[in-house]
Amino acid sequence: MILILSAVIAVVFGSGAFLILQRDLFRVVVGIVLISNAANLFIISAGLTRGEPPIYPLLEGATIADPLVQAMALTAIVISSSVAALLLSLVYRLYVAHDSVDIEDVSAAEVREAEALERDEDPGRDPEREEEPRGSPGDVGLREDTR
Amino acid sequence: MASPVLLPLLLALLAAPAVLLAGTFGVRSAAPTGAAFAALAFGATLWGWMSGGGAVDLAWAPSWDLRLHLELDGLATLYALLATGIGFAVLAYSSRYLPLHLEHQGRPASDGVGFYFFILLFMGSMVGLAMAQDLILLFVFWDLTAIASYYLIGFDRQDAESRASALMALLVTGVTAVLLLIGALLLYAAHGTFSVPELAERVGPGPLLTTAGGLIAVAGLAKSAQVPLHFWLPRAMAAPTPVSAYLHSAAMVAAGVLLLGRVYPLLQKSEVLLDSLLIVGLLSMAVGGILALTRDVLKQLLAYSTISQYGYVVVMYGLGGEYGAVGASFYVLAHALCKSALFLTAGAVTEATGEDRLSGVGGLRRPMPLLAAGSGAAAAGLAALPLTVGFFKDELFFAAALERGPVFAGLAVLGAALTFAYAWRFWGGIFTGDQVSEAKRMPGPLVWPVVALGGLALFGGIFVGPYLGLALAAGSDSLGAPASVSAAYHLDARPENLMALGTYALGGLIVVARPLWVGMALALSRFGERVGPERLYGLTLRGLNALSDVVHRAEARDLRSRVAAILLPGGVLIGIGILVTPTAGTYRVGEVRLQDVPLLLALVPLAVAALTTTITKRHVTLALVLSSAGFMLALVYAFFGAPDVALVAVLVETVLTLLFLGTLRLIPYRVLHRQAELPTEKRLRKVFFATVAGASTFAVVWATLSRPAVENSVAKEHLRLTPDAHAKDTVTAILADFRGLDTMGEISVVALVLLAVVTLLRGGRLR
Amino acid sequence: MTSVMTRTVARLLLLPTLVTALAILVKGYTQPGDGFSAGVVAALGVLLQLMVFGREEAEKIPGVRQAGTLAFVGLLAALVLAVVPLLLGDPLLTHYPSPGSGVLHFGTLEFVTAVLFDCAVFLLVFGFVVGTVGAISRAIEAADREEDPS
Repeated sequence: MILILSAVIAVVFGSGAFLILQRDLFRVVVGIVLISNAANLFIISAGLTRGEPPIYPLLEGATIADPLVQAMALTAIVISSSVAALLLSLVYRLYVAHDSVDIEDVSAAEVREAEALERDEDPGRDPEREEEPRGSPGDVGLREDTR
Repeated sequence: MASPVLLPLLLALLAAPAVLLAGTFGVRSAAPTGAAFAALAFGATLWGWMSGGGAVDLAWAPSWDLRLHLELDGLATLYALLATGIGFAVLAYSSRYLPLHLEHQGRPASDGVGFYFFILLFMGSMVGLAMAQDLILLFVFWDLTAIASYYLIGFDRQDAESRASALMALLVTGVTAVLLLIGALLLYAAHGTFSVPELAERVGPGPLLTTAGGLIAVAGLAKSAQVPLHFWLPRAMAAPTPVSAYLHSAAMVAAGVLLLGRVYPLLQKSEVLLDSLLIVGLLSMAVGGILALTRDVLKQLLAYSTISQYGYVVVMYGLGGEYGAVGASFYVLAHALCKSALFLTAGAVTEATGEDRLSGVGGLRRPMPLLAAGSGAAAAGLAALPLTVGFFKDELFFAAALERGPVFAGLAVLGAALTFAYAWRFWGGIFTGDQVSEAKRMPGPLVWPVVALGGLALFGGIFVGPYLGLALAAGSDSLGAPASVSAAYHLDARPENLMALGTYALGGLIVVARPLWVGMALALSRFGERVGPERLYGLTLRGLNALSDVVHRAEARDLRSRVAAILLPGGVLIGIGILVTPTAGTYRVGEVRLQDVPLLLALVPLAVAALTTTITKRHVTLALVLSSAGFMLALVYAFFGAPDVALVAVLVETVLTLLFLGTLRLIPYRVLHRQAELPTEKRLRKVFFATVAGASTFAVVWATLSRPAVENSVAKEHLRLTPDAHAKDTVTAILADFRGLDTMGEISVVALVLLAVVTLLRGGRLR
Repeated sequence: MTSVMTRTVARLLLLPTLVTALAILVKGYTQPGDGFSAGVVAALGVLLQLMVFGREEAEKIPGVRQAGTLAFVGLLAALVLAVVPLLLGDPLLTHYPSPGSGVLHFGTLEFVTAVLFDCAVFLLVFGFVVGTVGAISRAIEAADREEDPS
């Protein structure tokens, strides 16, 4: 039983990992959802006991399932579904911005933007760039003071 | 009685929000509100001190031994009075200065409210810092002052220099603040308390004291801009003048020596520490003094002067003894009065003439006689002329130096002479000689704070009693023992008087002989720029930036390889871990009972569905296969005896399917089609990584699941206690009652995601 | 596009769905079900209306237009429930009546503050699902309008 459970969890996780490595952002989201599912299954199967539902009145003499992992898995399911919703809206937003859901296009756009920023020489980026032009000798203050 | 302590602290802390509130009624009401609070806090502190002080000691986080321990002792009163009193003067000055400043820069007047807020936040933190007796409380206020100073130095946001200087100040004081924390934790680990009075009793000399005390001392020295961590102060002159007058002469740099004074009972037990303080202080005196003689920009001169003057204070702490401790506190008081007045003068002069350099101003005593008089008194105080409070500060300094020996006396005279020289250079350069530039009339609030502070300096020269009383109390707190020191005019040939005379003579000589030494001084300053600590700071920052760029470029180029870069080494590490740990008995196969067969039957389609997602081409099919996997998973949960979870899983999967299909509806077919039609490249590599990930997961999960069940578990307790919680469904009871806070966290996440999703989906298309 | 049967069934299903959701919420303490499932069931009922009748019709149902606000009201209620015990001197999120004391019953409905907590969660989840799908439908409408301005 344990072996089979572990195998299934590993298969689900592996499929999720495979999907995360894809170019298509939508597939990446699907991969993340699969990995969350694998994690939730892992939480539930890590329960200390497995048996009847933990609802009163309890069955006499039977093993009662572990309620704590169920509560945690429930929380995890809700949170991972909200995260999936968030990721989907992010994919939509990326499509709107770049007209593509391909990660290559997105990272190419990011590199382009970084280069554009560097070329504009935003003075706030590197505070130490001011050092070089200074150093003019004379008995004047070596920095332009604003006030 | 707690009110002597709490009243000033509350007034000081409430000042900042009050100003913010007043600012909503208009910017013009912000400054008077702040000034009123500052004055009230000043009065409350004075009243509290007169009625004998008091202490507050509450448990803040008992399990961590943190206490809210505040006490209005001599040291606290001294620094609190400084912070509130000079704060009042600076606020009065700013009420007229700031609108002019903002106008020059073309910024709206409402920016001023933020300015006042942060100045008063600073004042409040300073008062709290002064009163704190618990090292962690001290650290909290310490960092608050650093944050306020960051915003204040960088107030002129549009100026790159201001931003860079603010960052520099924050980094230097912030990183050393961590050293303070480490020192405090070292002491706590050894003695179990954070409270300074208790530590003073318990800690004995030894390597622990030296290390922890050294770390704390470094934090204090960095804050007071001592060599080698002094380079942030001249850069911080990019701030508006009131900020420089407040923070960088009287308050923030004073915090550093306040820390030294507060932990002095510990520091003085170690000779090594005291000697190091001595060395650092002497170096700062020298560097600050010499460089102050070379600077042309008014505020830069004053900045280096501050470095030098705090060097005096550190030297006195290093010298120790009664004269050392009392003299240090007295020096801080005297310096604060004089230096803030000089900074305000510099600001007024620049406002009037438009010049910020010494070479651009001169002969201003005629158009600005009041300012000349006020700042003259302050400059005289700095130069330690008789009839000013400065005379006594140097008298105590000389007395402390004499106790150590003639060498120190000689160095003391040299240092004081340098001070005399640059004080004259500053005041004389501005107010004597021929007028070089036009001078506008200055509004009252820009002049009378200077006059008031100068007057206080003169007052102290005649009636030194109150000032000395404060300093005595502060010194006693530092020493941990009552101190008695006298300072008065003695018209005899005692060594202090002779040293004072020698100072004036030597100082005058330096002024007159300027052409002889100015070349060397400039060479020294250039040398310092090339190899000094500021260069190291610049190199470090540039190096860190470059490193970040390298990493970013490696990541941004090929995003997915980053994912693989996590999965593969993770898998390999887990594999190694498994290979080297003894695994005998770790893995159990577990038996398959008859009642587990439905579970098995539900697990198989789940695995198949997961595998299918990897080979599906079209997106709609992918979404549907994913949801079928989800529903199978819900079935698995049901067979696990988890009906609540199964219910939620089914419902959530439904919603998720809707969301997936909704997103697919939003993205046009052509975009998705492009993806589906792409050839799958590097497929083998991806399969390899995924297999490694899956295999390592398998190993870890199998090992975890094979562990034997714990006998007495929390879960059993939850089961047992459910009827007491008036529930029958244990899982719901856990969610709503036993572990309700987890649920709270979860619903906060959901609410935040809702906000994010609605924002992201809004706005429609951009093209 | 939607047939008469779909529309009739959808209209008929709204109220039973909401009642089922309420039942799950109320009975959550004694039987499987809790605030989460109740919230999603209620949201699904509303979503059915949205899909069959379109967004305008669905927003006529009270509470749908303010779905986002409802979510935050739920969050606030949960926070209040957590903090009020602090004011009464008990640790955070203590539920009343405390263990051992009697509980008011109304059939199988128990008046315990934990049920109120579940109601807060219900509001939140309902608001979340309806809000999210509402946002998607608004985005779809905006996209459709751009493509086809007629």
